[in-house]
Amino acid sequence: MCSVGDDDYDNQAEKTMRKESGIKLSETCNKCRVEKSCVVLRGKDAYCKNCFLIGTIHKFKASLGKYRLIQTNDRVLVWYKVGHPSTSLLHFLRSGLDLMAHKRLRFQPLILFIDDQYHLNVDERKLLLEQVKKEVSSFDFELHCISFADYITDPKKLPELVTTNIISEDDKEKLDYVINKKASKTNKNDIKRLLRRQLLIDVAKYYKCKFVFTPEISVDIASDLLSNVSLGRGSHISIDTGFCDDRDTEVKILKPLRLFDMKELAFYNNHNNLEPLSVRQIEVNPYSSVQDLMTKFVTDLQVNYPATVTTILKTGDKLSLNKHIDVHCRLCKGPIPEIGDQLTSQQSTNFSHLVSNEFLDYGITRQERFQNISDKFDQNSDVNDSICYSCSSICNDICVK
Amino acid sequence: MPSCSAKCGRNAILKRPKTSDVLCKECFFEAFENEVHFTITRAKLFTPNTTVAIAASGGKDSTVLAYVLKLLNEKYDYRLKLLLLSIDEGITGYRDDSLDTVKQNRDDYEMSLKILSYKDLYGWTMDEIVAEIGRKNNCTFCGVFRRQALDRGANLLKVDYLATGHNADDIAETVLMNILRGDLARLSRCTSIITDSGDGIPRVKPLKYCYEKEIVMYAYFRKLVYFSTECVFAPNAYRGHARVLLKDLEKIDPTVIMNIIHSGETMKVSETSKMPKLTNCTRCGYVSSQEICKACVLLEGLNKGLPRLGIGKSSKVKRLLKENEEKNKSSGICRGEEDKTCLCSGTDSMKPVKINELVLKELRI
Repeated sequence: MCSVGDDDYDNQAEKTMRKESGIKLSETCNKCRVEKSCVVLRGKDAYCKNCFLIGTIHKFKASLGKYRLIQTNDRVLVWYKVGHPSTSLLHFLRSGLDLMAHKRLRFQPLILFIDDQYHLNVDERKLLLEQVKKEVSSFDFELHCISFADYITDPKKLPELVTTNIISEDDKEKLDYVINKKASKTNKNDIKRLLRRQLLIDVAKYYKCKFVFTPEISVDIASDLLSNVSLGRGSHISIDTGFCDDRDTEVKILKPLRLFDMKELAFYNNHNNLEPLSVRQIEVNPYSSVQDLMTKFVTDLQVNYPATVTTILKTGDKLSLNKHIDVHCRLCKGPIPEIGDQLTSQQSTNFSHLVSNEFLDYGITRQERFQNISDKFDQNSDVNDSICYSCSSICNDICVK
Repeated sequence: MPSCSAKCGRNAILKRPKTSDVLCKECFFEAFENEVHFTITRAKLFTPNTTVAIAASGGKDSTVLAYVLKLLNEKYDYRLKLLLLSIDEGITGYRDDSLDTVKQNRDDYEMSLKILSYKDLYGWTMDEIVAEIGRKNNCTFCGVFRRQALDRGANLLKVDYLATGHNADDIAETVLMNILRGDLARLSRCTSIITDSGDGIPRVKPLKYCYEKEIVMYAYFRKLVYFSTECVFAPNAYRGHARVLLKDLEKIDPTVIMNIIHSGETMKVSETSKMPKLTNCTRCGYVSSQEICKACVLLEGLNKGLPRLGIGKSSKVKRLLKENEEKNKSSGICRGEEDKTCLCSGTDSMKPVKINELVLKELRI
């Protein structure tokens, strides 16, 4: 059936996915209306340097203040990742902690760097670590650092790992040992994300931090959201891509930069004369995994339809967890939604797999054959209760040792 | 060629995108049909001794749906009365040809067929509408009118269920699209296998878990006659973004389609979010989220020679309708139903024809 127009908003394409056209910009700042503007945001709003910087800092503090989660003297683990967002985050924190600052931040940040740039050689990684140390210390913060490969090889060694921090040649092999080399790239990316989350929580607990800051910006969140939907994690959207991930009872993971876009932060760094580090990246085929495709899709959207990225985020914000669930997945720790007697896509896939592997006994009637398969399906249906839909498909592909 | 996963000893002829199993033709037929039967029984789609209208367009989905429903009805004794319901949008060179396919289905599957035309229901064919509005926004009219036409048809035929041929790809695409648009209301209901359009006739999707590719393969190996072409009025691009994305995802990993449906099924809209409430259109009584349903607005525009009414902001439409009503009250000049320039509103001339006013005999059967 023709589904074009079914949705009665085809005509609104221009409204909902508006292409940015050349809008006439005002010469003076939109805010103070005095100074000459130097930054244009969202393709239409022009600001002068001063108003832009004030506005950006306010946006950061407002996103923390809105939820009122952090209390005075709480310790916060800040995950430092190379790039504009992390550099801005360090600057937000340093300037916010400043005694002279207006509405001073009153928590104690600890900076963590995860050594996981395995496409670089050992010398490059050592150099990078030195550069990171230098940058972090230029903000007067102390850097803590941990090897991803060593952590996932043996998470119990964490106290040792955060103090020693050895960059070794065979880290990549260690990774392949833990995560099945032959698994699909999509699943590998997903399991790495889950393991990194656990790493952040474990490190935070070790340093007695109640919170973790991660540096994802709007496009990261939008592409994560769409990737998660494509991996069947729809019920976890609010904790995976919302502001606060409170799956763990002791440590909450917050995303203070989730409403910023790259341009804002790049300009912020530029106006503050900050030069973030850069790392050699390998070229990624966007069609090699679901996550890479979503990154490409969202990046393209950001260029042509910047409003759509915000729409994706807002859609995510309006979804919630089912609060009354006590069963949690062993792998991702997210609640497993109750199904009841409703037919789900998971059951349908399982049934399809069953009928595709069942020998058809033409000696009995078709109705009897179906009854046999149906009975067999019901017998098999209650296995692996403590793994969620999405994680169970990773488990089939990747053997986590 | 590898041998069939079902261990029947024959060589496999296809690999299933849903599970990556490989099957021979015979085993694929039974697997596919049993899956639809499984969906129908587990989701309790039908009750015995009822009548089901199958929305038939002549395309692959509805042809396979009609064939499989007929087959399962006999094999598993559903005791359903099946009939075909087609909508004639009045698109020369597209619908004329596909209606021939539907008529072929009618003869092949021995089901009765009812064809409702836009001309009968709304007084306009799509060809006439395109002549008014041009090619750019005509899909809006077609989509809005078709949705209502199917419901009206179902009502007219006094059936108990309306079955549509939406497949798994369609549903996954809709989930993605609703996220991109931020349409929470549709996002929360688009994965339901049974939806109620407010008139007590449930719309059901028995092929909800069937991959488009498998439907095509089923039709091909069963040698079913279906009509395969794009509408002659070039389709609008909105769905395009989601469709291209889904096709790319499918190439990476075909199970993504089932994953997306799973996500849609388990998502929960937070209680604090505002959701539009469904009410009834004050003019035609059809279920709508607005005071006046989209079809009435579009029709008013057409009948008044303002075809672009309804294409654009709804607040603008409301204002215009109100103005029209007031002008009508003050002037009172109207030359009756034929007067397309008159600003009168709320009269019969612009309402879609009410169901009980339609004479069955006049409709082509």
